[in-house]
This record gives sequence, structure tokens and C-alpha cells, in this order.
Amino acid sequence: MSDIFGIIGVFDTPNAVKHAATSVRDAGYRSFEAYTPYPVKGLQQIVHPGPRRLLPLLMFGGAIFGAVWGYWIQFWDEVVNYPINVGGRPHNSWPAFTVSTFEFMVLCAVAAGLLGLLAASRLPKLYHPLFNARSFPRASRDRFLICIEAADPRFDPESIGQLFEQLGAERIEKVRA
Amino acid sequence: MSTTFPGELPADAPIVGPDVTLGSLSEEVSSRVLMRRAPLWWWVGFTIASLLLLVLIIQMGWLFIGGIGIWGVEIPVAWGLALAEYVWWIALASGGTIVSALFFLTRSPWRSATNRIAESMLLSAAPCAGLMPIMHLGRPGLFYWLFPYSNVMGVWPQARSPLWWDFICLICYILMSLMYYYVGILPDLATVRDLAQSRTKQIFYGILSLGWRGSSREWANQRVVYAIMSAIMAPMVISVHSVVGLDFAGGLTPGWHDTQFPPYFFFGAVISGTALIIMLTILVRWGYGLQDLLTEYHMNAMAKVMLVGSLLLTYSYIWEAFGPIYGSAAAEKTEFFHRIFGFTALPFWSEKTLTVIVPQLLWFPAVRRNLLLLFLISAGVIVGMWQERFVFVTASLEHNSIPSYWGVYFPTFWDWAALAGTIGLFLTLFFLFLRFAPIVSLAEVREIVEEEKSQ
Repeated sequence: MSDIFGIIGVFDTPNAVKHAATSVRDAGYRSFEAYTPYPVKGLQQIVHPGPRRLLPLLMFGGAIFGAVWGYWIQFWDEVVNYPINVGGRPHNSWPAFTVSTFEFMVLCAVAAGLLGLLAASRLPKLYHPLFNARSFPRASRDRFLICIEAADPRFDPESIGQLFEQLGAERIEKVRA
Repeated sequence: MSTTFPGELPADAPIVGPDVTLGSLSEEVSSRVLMRRAPLWWWVGFTIASLLLLVLIIQMGWLFIGGIGIWGVEIPVAWGLALAEYVWWIALASGGTIVSALFFLTRSPWRSATNRIAESMLLSAAPCAGLMPIMHLGRPGLFYWLFPYSNVMGVWPQARSPLWWDFICLICYILMSLMYYYVGILPDLATVRDLAQSRTKQIFYGILSLGWRGSSREWANQRVVYAIMSAIMAPMVISVHSVVGLDFAGGLTPGWHDTQFPPYFFFGAVISGTALIIMLTILVRWGYGLQDLLTEYHMNAMAKVMLVGSLLLTYSYIWEAFGPIYGSAAAEKTEFFHRIFGFTALPFWSEKTLTVIVPQLLWFPAVRRNLLLLFLISAGVIVGMWQERFVFVTASLEHNSIPSYWGVYFPTFWDWAALAGTIGLFLTLFFLFLRFAPIVSLAEVREIVEEEKSQ
């Protein structure tokens, strides 16, 4: 079975793909993924149940890092390395440092979000077996796909084909690895 | 119960045309990017834009050789058109973020088809803004001294100065806007990749889309990150334009020394940014024939935002006049009367007309639905805001606290060349966005199409 990456079922409505994903999970498959042209509400919970709080936390961590870094760089500048007496004001005049601290904070939060998004989605990945599938390009336009992967312990092309047929798949395709 | 006035668009008016389907939407927008030859209007516009860009390059070359004395800036008016235009450009750019981030948070459905235009506009306008102060430095080659980095010279920028905050704000703003834009456009680039026929375009968009597949995991991650980014970008853009206001409020010059300037400048961004988005949306809709995606619904909503911006700005104008008239500072008073009756009276009254009086027409639903009028009002607002920045920056310096220090400011040919040139830079970048990136956010409009279908 090593020459097959998985089997795709093509559906034409968001409700059909949600129904199909539920049935696939109920049939006991675990290694499968849905590909849709836009985020279908509720599909994520069916395909990957369980909590996911990592990305917001990562962005929060980025914000903390940015704030500390931003303040530190100004502190180093104005207090340690190049202190200038401006009208007798304290070297560590923190109210004047808040604006830049805020900017560094949000910059790092957004950068952490972008990098986290790529890392959590395993991108960039310029080659993927799915790109060879004939039905795959439409997943970015107007079709909703489910792919059960060969990595699943219960993987069996015939029973999967039957399952997809029962679920009303428009088309069923084997994807080569 | 809501009342509908005669001629007003009903609240449940369709957001996109009735014939739009998921498939036709993707093909309609992607085909504008993938077509082999750009349409004639694109070439005409792009040629004009490039010629204006050439003006900028010549202007900059002569500026770097001759110094900023080639502009009309002198003592006492040391800040001339270039800095007024810096404020003007950054306001236009900020409008893009306001429309795309603020109205993402309010879940306004009209935002989905216009946000890409708004963001492309913002990314084209922000470099124009950034260029202005750098050209104004006198020794532009040394602008990197503004970066806070450990260097062998042993010198650091002054972190207590609003001018330095402004530099940090602008650089963070451009970087963050790029990332925000990219997270939003990633799925759409994948659509273009999947529709591309030629090998070159497949590879080009394949690399740009980083192998996006639209799996439910990718979508979930993208949505979370995009929502948080929007929640960050909205206060961020307010901070950027407020700090521009602080550049002036931090000075003791009469007319500038006022605590209201941070919000005042932001209100200016709301009205002028929306005005430019309306103009560009009308042009893109006409040029690319996207009448079924960019509908009356969008124009109506943006016109209302522009009207709100005009009212906010009116409020600020009232306080701007109230301070000098009610207060006892003689310099503030003379400066204010110089501004409204003196050398700058003409642009002063013209800008009040264009940004306060004319936009009141938008109260009438029929005006909001008339594209030609909407276009003209928006153009008027942008010209008016330019005059407002011009009067604000130069009139105050012309009439400083000491009468022996008074003067007048005349822009020279090279001042105007800088304006024309940055417009060229803006248009060039915007035309490139139009040609190479999907100009309507596909993923988000798909959701609206499905929602309308299910109703």
C-alpha cells in the first residue's frame, strides 16, 4: 500500500462534507483531512477534535518578548550606553518610552503569529502528493474534499470507496504517494 | 423597528450579485491576474504612473545633489510641503487598515470584498509616506542612524522624541501591514496557483502560496491568527497616526501645541483613507468589470463611513477654533487669524468646504448610490485633506510667537515634483498589485456567497 498516499472523496456542498467527515470519523478512521475553499464552520471540530490554544498563546508570548525587548533597547540607549541629560529629567523616563515599547510589542506579536501560523500548518511545503490529484485544484475553488490517508491503520481502498459512495461523493480518486 | 428612507438601500440588500457562485467568483477574480495581456486601461494607467515615478527619481536625484534648499523651505517655515504630504500619505494609508482591520472586528460583511483593495492601497501609500521625511532629512544617506542598534560610533537616537517614536511607528506599521496582508492573501494565492495554466505562473504563485492546501487545520490556524492580527492592527493604526499628531503637539509652535491632535489626525485618516478606497473601488470595479462583486452595498457602506469621518473632523475643527478664541495666548490668536484670513485663507476655506460641507451630501441615500457624485466627493475630500495638512503645517510656522520671526512659504517647482512623484510611486505600486495579486479576498467572499445562497 506504500504507493498510495490516500483516497479522496469529492463533495459539492459544505453540509455534505460535514456529514461525510462525521461519518468517516464514526467509521473509525483517524488519519484524514478535509480540504475546502473557505473555512467551513464546525468542520475543524469534526476533523481535529480537541482544544487548540497554542497560537494565541504564542502571539501573547511574542507580545511579552517584544515589550521587554522594546523597553530594554530604550533603557540601554538612554540610561546605560548614551545617557543625555534633557532638562534634568530622569534618564529612565519611562512615560516617553511607552509608545515605542507598544510598537515593538505589537510587531513581535504579529511576527509570532505569522511564523506560528506557518509552523503549525507545516508550511512552506512546496510539494505535496495531493497536488498530483486531478480533483485537488477544485478544492481551492468550489469543491469540498476529504482525503483518508494510507497512514491510517484501518486503511482499505475498497471499503473507503464504498463509504464515500454511500455518502454521495461526486468523485472518488486514489492519490499516489 | 428600522425605518427605510425613500431611495435608501434596504438593510438586507444583496452584498454580491445573484449570479455569483463559488466557481464563477474564483475564475472571475483570478482571470484578472492570470490573463496573458493586461487590458489597455492598465497599460495607459501604468505608463502614466511610471512617468510620474520618473519625476520622483529625477526630483530625488537633484534633491540629493542640491540639498533641500531646492524646495521652498526656509527659516521660519522649515517644514514645507514634504512634511504636510507625509501626514497626508500616512492618513491615506491608515484608512486602508481602518477599513480592513477595524471592520473585520465588527464583522461588517461589506468589508470582505473591499479589504484587499484597502490593503493594497495601504501598502502602496505607506512607502510614499516613509519617503517624505527621509527626503527631508538634509542628509538622507544617514537616515539609518534612526535605527536603534549598537554601533561603533557609540551614538544612539533620542528615544524621548516624538519624531523618533514616529519613525518606529512607521517602520513597524509597514512591516506589520505586510504580514497582515500576506496572512490574508495566502489562500487566494493558492487559488490562483490552481487556476494557472502556464508553467511560469504555476511556479510563481506556487512559491508565493507556500503550498497552501486549504486543509481544515490550515484554515483554523489562519482564522485564529488573522482575527488576533486584526485586533492588534486596529489599535496599532490609531497609535501610528496619533504619534504623527504628537510630532506637532510636542512642539511649542502656536497652532501645533494642542492636546487634541492625536485624535484629530486619526479622524483625518478615517475620512481621507475611506475617500481614496472609494475612488479606487469605483475604478477597479469599472476597469476589471467586477460589478457583481463590488456592489451598491459596498459603496453605500463606505460612503457612510466617510460621512462619519467628516462629522468627527468637524468636531475637531470646532475645538481647533475654540482654543485660540477662548484662550488668552496672543500668539495662538494671531496665528489662528492669520490662518483663516491671512496668507493661507484660500486653502483654509476651500478645505473646510471640501471636507465638512460637501460630504454632508452623503446624508442623502441617492447621493450614496450615485457613483459619479461619490467619486467627485471623495476626490474633493482628498484634495481638501491635502490643503488641510498644508495649512496646518505651514501657517503655524509662518506666524510664530515672535513677529520679527514671521514669514511666508511658497512651494517651488521641486516641491510640486515631489508630490507628483510620490503619486507616481503610489500608482505604480497599486497597478502592480492590481496585475499580480487577486484584488478581492476570495476566501471571505466565498463565505458570503454561501451565506446568501443558504438564505
